[in-house]
Amino acid sequence: MTRIHADIDALKELHHALVRFRCAQRDMVDQGDDRIEATRASLEAKAGRWQSRLEQARAELGACQFRAAQAAAGEDRPVDCSGYAGAVSEAEERLERIRLWQYRVDQEASEFRGIAIRFRNLLEIDLPRTEGHLLALIASLDGARRVQAPGS
Amino acid sequence: MPGLPDQDGYHQFRLLEDAWDSAVQHWHDDVLRDFDTHHWTPLQAESRLYLDALRKLMEVLSVAEHDTEW
Repeated sequence: MTRIHADIDALKELHHALVRFRCAQRDMVDQGDDRIEATRASLEAKAGRWQSRLEQARAELGACQFRAAQAAAGEDRPVDCSGYAGAVSEAEERLERIRLWQYRVDQEASEFRGIAIRFRNLLEIDLPRTEGHLLALIASLDGARRVQAPGS
Repeated sequence: MPGLPDQDGYHQFRLLEDAWDSAVQHWHDDVLRDFDTHHWTPLQAESRLYLDALRKLMEVLSVAEHDTEW
């Protein structure tokens, strides 16, 4: 039998720490996934809002341009549509920025996913094995101490 | 109260490293070296890789939210 030269309490504390780490990190992995989905949903909602504003702004600009054309034909006072055109530009720019962020978040989340899957496997498969191995070492050490104790 | 996943993750990792440091102070043999090579070192490397990637992603998500608030 391999003799283990270690303090049994320190090994037991390491075992407890491994168990706590596994449980806590499993929650963290879930929280990380939730965060990604929350941001995706938030960006999608923003994109929807700005898409609606853009459509409204385009409709208002179209109506203004119609009035401007009528005014020009009837030799009325000219109609200024620059405010409506500005609203369309602003909505287009903001929507474009949101779309870029959606693309970037998808890219980053995709890169992260592979690392997260490996870490989840470590938590679900490898770490329980490590804990089991450590428990076996502790049991071995415990047994050896009990055998030594009467004569020591 | 739950914090940011990456910050909580690093905190838990530091607690585990403390327990490891404490254990190796009392553990000096081939069994330790074997445990270190086959269990602790891969766990440490994989955890750091994940936590660093999580922190980077959380930063991106935070900037994405901030940059699209008007």
